[in-house]
Amino acid sequence: MSCQELERLFVTGASDLEGRVHAESCPACAAADRDQQSVRRLLSGLRPPAASSVLREAFLTIPARTVDCESAGFLIAAAVEEEVEPANRRRLVFHLSRCKACAEASETLGTARELVAPQPAPWFAGRMAASTSPKPQPVPRVGWRWLLNPKGAIAFAYAAALILMLTGFNPADLARKARTELPQEAKVVVAGAESTLADRAGAWGERVLRAGLIVRSRAFGYGRAALSNVVQLVLKSEPAPARGRPTSGGEKSAPSKNESTIETWRA
Amino acid sequence: MSGNENDTNLVDRCRQGNDEAWRELVDRFGQKIYSVAYHFTLKREDAEELSQEIFLKIFENLHRYDGGFPLIAWIVSLSRNLCIDRYRRSKREKSFRFVSDDAVAPMLTSGDDPAAEVIRRERAKMLFAALSEIPEDLAEILVLRDLDGLAYEEIGRALELPNGTVKSRLFRARAEVARKIRERHESSGPGAFATLAVAAGAFV
Repeated sequence: MSCQELERLFVTGASDLEGRVHAESCPACAAADRDQQSVRRLLSGLRPPAASSVLREAFLTIPARTVDCESAGFLIAAAVEEEVEPANRRRLVFHLSRCKACAEASETLGTARELVAPQPAPWFAGRMAASTSPKPQPVPRVGWRWLLNPKGAIAFAYAAALILMLTGFNPADLARKARTELPQEAKVVVAGAESTLADRAGAWGERVLRAGLIVRSRAFGYGRAALSNVVQLVLKSEPAPARGRPTSGGEKSAPSKNESTIETWRA
Repeated sequence: MSGNENDTNLVDRCRQGNDEAWRELVDRFGQKIYSVAYHFTLKREDAEELSQEIFLKIFENLHRYDGGFPLIAWIVSLSRNLCIDRYRRSKREKSFRFVSDDAVAPMLTSGDDPAAEVIRRERAKMLFAALSEIPEDLAEILVLRDLDGLAYEEIGRALELPNGTVKSRLFRARAEVARKIRERHESSGPGAFATLAVAAGAFV
């Protein structure tokens, strides 16, 4: 087991000579020093593998094959507007296939472009047709529908009349007030119009009364005659008592008292 | 103009679409990035794919570099994150990783002696097998320092660790690798490992 002094000297940058001096006085560190030198000799015998000229040419073509992330940002923005040359587009596509962050940015921008010009889904037409079909009219929110109810209308009318009565409103006052406020000429015209109307109404009333009287008199006359006929028919239907009438046919019998009465009435 | 100002200037020119600036950046860091990727994957195809991914990431994130520390530290930090992501995806595969001859071949210098070449290959395989067995936080510092050749400060910036912690972990990483190699030798018997150890000039 080494005393760690050799390692400490190596870490602190001491020269190989200092390490060797310590190793000569410390058997454990002497073995460790031999191991260190042996491995160094083993490694120093190897040379780095040589890269081929073909590989070097491949390294040189890298700028033509891809773009850095910074340039990719500009190209992604330009690609959205289709303003990228074919060569740069190839470089961008190659870069996007390798760089997740840029690919995500490109996809996000592409999505935003799709949002500007959306494509309708297959079920869109059906939903549109359904949404444009006639729908039941919505119930109006204004509360006037109760007036269509007869009970409501009656209640409203009574309430309005009550309010008018309580406030002392009289429609006749309006007419009087209007008449007093009319000029003199207008009052004359109104009075004439009213008188004309009254005359016409009176004439119509008289005609109606006269026609009524005629109808009534005729009705009474016909009624009385009808009643008399009915009475005669009733009396005539009773059997007459037998009175010494001749049995032979050649001899005309004398009319009875009732017969002579009817003939008289007819005459 | 300081190193950071140079780096900032280079990054700014790259962001403006300057091809020459990008070429300069690739020439300065391309090899190092490929090396980091290869030491992590130990497969040429995987390393090429991973290093391309790292460069793509660098280019796409150039606007994030603010010049507060060396560009290489920023690049290594980014590379490390990608390597860790890759490691998480293939963790099961890595835990059973078998270091093949082909995996270490690109890191070996070819020599005239075939026997020596075999020994170097076996030592490299043994080293990477030991690296895969030690804790990840120790192994990555050992690779960045001794294989990729980064400075302590650059490693500290990349991993967001103080210099003292970087050095301490490096010391312990080397000790752990040595211990793993020794354990492997003890479990497999002295025969084969003795040859390698003698070739390496250590451990026994």
